[in-house]
Amino acid sequence: MGRDTRFFLWGGLAYFVVLEVLLAGAILFWPDFEDNVDALRDMIPIEALKGMFDQIETGGISAYVNGQHFFKGCNTVGSLAAVIFAMGAVAGEAQRGTLEIWLARPISRRRLLLERWAGGALATTVPVFLTTLTIPWLLREVDAEMAFAPMMLCAVQQSLLLLAIYSATFLWSCLSSSPISIAFGMLLFTVLQFALYLIQVVTHWSLFRLTDIDAFARIGATQSLDANTWVPLVAVTAILVGASLAVFERRTP
Amino acid sequence: MNASPTTHRGIRAHGLTRTFGAKTALHPTDLDLGPGGVVGLLGPNGSGKSTLLRMLVGLVRPDAGTASVAGVALAGDGTAIRRACTYAPGELAVYRELSAREHLDWLLRGRDRAAKVRAAAIAEELGLPLRARVRTFSHGMKRQLHFAAALAPTVPVRILDEPTEGLDPTKRGEVLDLLAADARRGTTIFLSSHHLGEVDRACDRLVFLGAGRLIADETSDSVARRARKLVRLTYAPESDLARVESTLASIPGASVARGVARDTARFSIHLDVEDPRPFLVALGAQAALPAPATIEYGQISLQELYRDLYGVEGC
Repeated sequence: MGRDTRFFLWGGLAYFVVLEVLLAGAILFWPDFEDNVDALRDMIPIEALKGMFDQIETGGISAYVNGQHFFKGCNTVGSLAAVIFAMGAVAGEAQRGTLEIWLARPISRRRLLLERWAGGALATTVPVFLTTLTIPWLLREVDAEMAFAPMMLCAVQQSLLLLAIYSATFLWSCLSSSPISIAFGMLLFTVLQFALYLIQVVTHWSLFRLTDIDAFARIGATQSLDANTWVPLVAVTAILVGASLAVFERRTP
Repeated sequence: MNASPTTHRGIRAHGLTRTFGAKTALHPTDLDLGPGGVVGLLGPNGSGKSTLLRMLVGLVRPDAGTASVAGVALAGDGTAIRRACTYAPGELAVYRELSAREHLDWLLRGRDRAAKVRAAAIAEELGLPLRARVRTFSHGMKRQLHFAAALAPTVPVRILDEPTEGLDPTKRGEVLDLLAADARRGTTIFLSSHHLGEVDRACDRLVFLGAGRLIADETSDSVARRARKLVRLTYAPESDLARVESTLASIPGASVARGVARDTARFSIHLDVEDPRPFLVALGAQAALPAPATIEYGQISLQELYRDLYGVEGC
């Protein structure tokens, strides 16, 4: 097994386990949550989060799972995983001094970079789908159920956002020689995005609006992805990958 | 010499140039090396050796100029050239978590299975423990690991950036012997080095860079012939060195080499002929000159030779 494969496999497995533990804990907590939703809402100081409780009251278990698994779990742990998988892609080689031997083999730069991008992209998104697939099984434990197709569409939309974050980090890695700077930069960006989400007047500026309970409720209602969301996310990812290739083609070891 | 770039199986470059910001790492450089033989690339730190080698294998894009290696023209990211040759970088970096065998396989990705088997055999011949993690390797062992990977594939050209740096004299000898054997099979080997002694021993042609410029491109025989036309004199530092220099320069058939280090009272005299006797007779007749402290002729080290011929120190 190659070192890249090993890194993505073990990293992806760890990320899957964390997501699954968070998901299982959240679903098993559902009966208590349902019984005490009013008391819990009163304890929340932020209006944006109080709104989520209203949405969960209206949407029931579907809204609760979407909020817990996608909005909370995947957006936080997934963003972190995306940054970890991408930050060292090229910058890590440069920092370690191995960029030259990586490039010196008789393999085109395009292939080297796309292989690495694909490995990290799979490691970032596959755990989202795998954990989502376990939702019906976990829901049986609390005598609840959710429609399968909308749930998987939500996983697709969530994965597209994580891919965009992953690809942005990847591009930065192609430009930089310091993975730690990238990690701090992306951490700052993610925290800022969450902060924007929590301020009602600017909440629409947050990327995480694309993967909140509202967004997933619309997917559930229409049984389809909104082209105004997924097309830009795919386009941004494609542009970021293209820019990464262009930068990497000219990078000097 | 007249082969086209696509049929020439050695290394060719025309006007190869590269700048980094305001610094010109390599001024327009022409090369025509091989096919076959061991060519040494010499020069002090920062002279542009690594930049030239990286450009030849497509790792650094030239600002201008063309090159071909083993009949393959330099284009794009140089993948085609790197298939036709092997390259060992000068910077020693490894994936510390891999075993030596895994690392060899990693370095040889894109090569055939036979190359991987041969690399393992070369590594074992050099005494490397293939099951050990690379993090336990010394600097010299890591160097040998890279060397084994560069020597294993069957290719017409090998480009090696300081392949013996950090090796003890015994290992250095083994590596040079392996390179010599490879060159006898018709491979063109272009290696850079700071060690003039090893280049003296291994190379049949020498390319010398200084401050990003090609200073010399000569065969070892030609350098040896030039050495036989060189007489080195040292005088006591308190001598009247200006007078000594002008008197030496006045002797027919001799010229005082540029780059003379006058503060050490050393003069290098270039003779028109290989026979030093007429010069020595004329020198003896110069009653006005003080007696030299030393007179050297014949076997002069390459380091001294380059210092005297090109005024470049620090090789």
